Amino acid sequence: MTFRQARWEEPLLWEIRPPADGGVDPAQAPEVPPELRRRKALRLPELSELEVARHFTRLSQMNFGIETSFYPLGSCTMKYNPRVSEVLARRAGVADVHPYQPESSTQGLLAMLWEMEQALGKITGLPHTTLQVAAGAHGEYVALRMTAAYHRDRGDTKRTEVLLPDTAHGTNPASAAMAGFTTREIPSKNGCVDLRALEGALSENTAAFMLTNPNTAGLFEEQILEISDRVHSAGAILYYDGANLNAILGKTGPGKMGFDVAHLNLHKTFATPHGGGGPGDGALCVGERLKDYLPVPRIVKEGRKFHISYDFPRSIGKVKTAYGNVGLVLRAYVFLRAHGEEGLRRVSERAVLNSNYLGMRLGEHLPRPFKPLVKHEFVLSGAPLKARGVRTLDLAKRLLDEGVHAPTVYFPTLVEESLMIEPPETESKRDLDEFVAAFLRALNDTPERLHASPMNLAVGRVDEVRAARDLILSWRDMEKAAPGAGRSHATAASPPGVASAAPSDIPNPSVGAK
Amino acid sequence: MVRWIPGNGEEEKALLDALGLSSVEELFRDIPPSARMKRMGLGAPLEERQVVEHVDRLLEKNQTQGSLDSFLGCGLYDRYTPAVVDGILQRSEFYTSYTPYQPEASQGVLQTLFEFQSLWVELSDMDVANASLYDGATAMGEAMLMARRLAPGHRFLVPSTLFWERRSVLENYAPRKDMEFVEVPCDPRTGRLDLGFLEREAKHDCFGVLFEYPDTLGTLQVDLPKVKGAIKDVPLIVSADPLALTLLEPPGAWGADIVVGEGQGFGVPVSYGGPLLGLISTRKEHVRMLPGRIAGATVDHEGRRAFTLTLQAREQHIRRSRATSNICTNQTLVSLAFLAYACAVGPSGLTRLASRLSEEGHRLAKALKEVPGLRAPLVDAPFLWEFPVGVEGLSIPEFLDGMYDEGVLAGVPLQDPRPGAKGHPHPGFLTSAGERTDAKSVERYARAARKVLSAPKKEGSP
Repeated sequence: MTFRQARWEEPLLWEIRPPADGGVDPAQAPEVPPELRRRKALRLPELSELEVARHFTRLSQMNFGIETSFYPLGSCTMKYNPRVSEVLARRAGVADVHPYQPESSTQGLLAMLWEMEQALGKITGLPHTTLQVAAGAHGEYVALRMTAAYHRDRGDTKRTEVLLPDTAHGTNPASAAMAGFTTREIPSKNGCVDLRALEGALSENTAAFMLTNPNTAGLFEEQILEISDRVHSAGAILYYDGANLNAILGKTGPGKMGFDVAHLNLHKTFATPHGGGGPGDGALCVGERLKDYLPVPRIVKEGRKFHISYDFPRSIGKVKTAYGNVGLVLRAYVFLRAHGEEGLRRVSERAVLNSNYLGMRLGEHLPRPFKPLVKHEFVLSGAPLKARGVRTLDLAKRLLDEGVHAPTVYFPTLVEESLMIEPPETESKRDLDEFVAAFLRALNDTPERLHASPMNLAVGRVDEVRAARDLILSWRDMEKAAPGAGRSHATAASPPGVASAAPSDIPNPSVGAK
Repeated sequence: MVRWIPGNGEEEKALLDALGLSSVEELFRDIPPSARMKRMGLGAPLEERQVVEHVDRLLEKNQTQGSLDSFLGCGLYDRYTPAVVDGILQRSEFYTSYTPYQPEASQGVLQTLFEFQSLWVELSDMDVANASLYDGATAMGEAMLMARRLAPGHRFLVPSTLFWERRSVLENYAPRKDMEFVEVPCDPRTGRLDLGFLEREAKHDCFGVLFEYPDTLGTLQVDLPKVKGAIKDVPLIVSADPLALTLLEPPGAWGADIVVGEGQGFGVPVSYGGPLLGLISTRKEHVRMLPGRIAGATVDHEGRRAFTLTLQAREQHIRRSRATSNICTNQTLVSLAFLAYACAVGPSGLTRLASRLSEEGHRLAKALKEVPGLRAPLVDAPFLWEFPVGVEGLSIPEFLDGMYDEGVLAGVPLQDPRPGAKGHPHPGFLTSAGERTDAKSVERYARAARKVLSAPKKEGSP
């Protein structure tokens, strides 16, 4: 496949035209006390609308998206984001509604939020839901705050440790530490939790065990009921990381598996767009043990009316402004209603089918460290490439040249040179077969070409070491590093550091930094 | 049925054949039977047209701010966004892409993040910004945790006027028992913070001080530039309104160590409270303590300018339990809206807007001052477009309900609504002039207020 990404030498906004270097007109806002008045005007160029549109359109042409490229990133569930959701989320009936309006003026939105909470309760088997959380990691954090409150209310103050498998997403230990817990990793056996090791680690100090199922190796933790039993016998909370929910809709649910609490990533399973890294949208579903601790407000239905209630004395309070990412909940709601029971079941069936098919095809060429029956994703090891002096990273970069996004690489860490691949339900068999062909072209390419890739993108291999060493994090830094850049439109055509300039043209910014 | 799964059912057969399976159920055989779910209990699938009709029926039940006279704000503002901004946001390469972990395939998003960081650096006059946090309240929480990493001590000083939602979020970001909140009092009449108190308390076991600019009451604290001198080495966190910063001397110019803010007012609809945008910037020497993603400039192997996420060793996917924060997904697309909005309106346009809103705010205050039974503004202090209002003779909810019946969304109660909550030092509501505020809507507001306040009391009321 011949693929070429646009290669604009697009200047920074500040290089398109230099910003005015003046002060703020004192006639503006005479109400501001003199000691607080801004002395120098905001340094941002005055651009025409076309200049703005062209700048960002060109930048967009130097980026992959779902509508341009297959994105087999493991644990990210990069599925098609329905356009109709984008249309509906822009309706004034949601976009122009303020969260502090009276509840009688927002009954339609409250009905939608309430219905979404009920539906997620049914999907997870954990009937009490908050939509206030912003993203997956935020949900983890909120759940752990609730867990702490639960143990504290029971006088169980020794529970200071959170256990998690060594395959856990990085957010799990980070959330636990931020919530004031210590963490301990439980080793895996054949890619799944080692039940013995878990039993050995559980104690009266265990606050919670965090697990995703299917796990990050794409494997279903078959001993989940035993795990649940052991965790509960030890008096701890069993936490479900819902990043991988796309594999099990209608087949099982966290509640059925014995979990006490689950966060969901609506930007994965429910197709709200990833936005280049966010906004995400989270939900937190809990069972009886934790329900009193959910954040306020909660939506309460009385007859046909919906109320915003703050009357939950054990609630941990607020975790975010207002009620959550409602504009995104609406998108997820569209996905839910369009698919319905039957469609959501098909979502998981097709995602798992795609994953097993692709796993089988690619497993003929690179080792699969675990059993072949997987759920929504699978892991390969790029270790054999090392004999040719090639690494998984090279393979990933070479795949970009084929116009497909690279898989998740070097995670999970327990597999050497790992690649984690997730082909969601919205990819066709033809897409998968084309990916196999692209993968094989990449795999069989020469080491020289693999090392030199990508060659077809806006830039070649990016020097990340230099980025971390010589910090240039804003236009201010860049100005200091390369004085004169952006001073006139003429220089913007080839400012230092752009085009064919040598690396040495960008001096160490720390010289000029404060 | 929507066509979001390809192949119309026939592809499944081909995939199953390739796997040598007869039924897709065989792929779920590793789920223990007792953990299997029979039905979720959801509804039947809908066609796209049916979903649209259904959602539109739900949305019709909501009253929009545009259909009323809205004076709601409290950090979330109704502003006009030039159409070009949404055109940019709807480029699918932006809104459907993932976190730019593969920089070569993601230069577009990375450069916009770099430019967004640059813009918040300019607005706040700090050295470095990150690529966004969830919202203004969680950004305060992250800033507090960052201050805790920068300084010893166990006490955190916050204004007594801080909106209860933000205070509650802060408490949830302070899980450790060894973190204690101390409220900095302010003069009940002028809202002015007690600088002497601050100077005394900051000396004792204090790891950070938080102020808002303008504060929850909309007040401009004239002593803020003196705060850093009073608290010395204790980290100063300032939560600033980005639009106000086009008129106000930025916190970086008077010694702030961390500047946070809520960015929603720049190009993002209020959308019933989300998605929002958390802003954070700091001084260069603290860059390694920042939470979240940071985009940086570098070069590719041929020396071309390139952008990439950098300093990732601070982050959860590398550092795990020792990360500076758990944040992974952030608000990238919203930060693009912020950036594109600022460009589309332009710096002079932003200053003019801020100036006009301030003018409308003062027009509103003047009109409400004339209404018997209203105390507007409730504090005698400089402000821009937002100020607190007190009511005599009616409770705040009674007054606001009455105003809503007259078609006016008059404001946001300052009181924490949780039963048993501590009272706010300024028992009133916050009212805010917006871009749709003009002489006529101000007149309607004042007229409605007169009517509500002069209406005969309901039976049973004192």
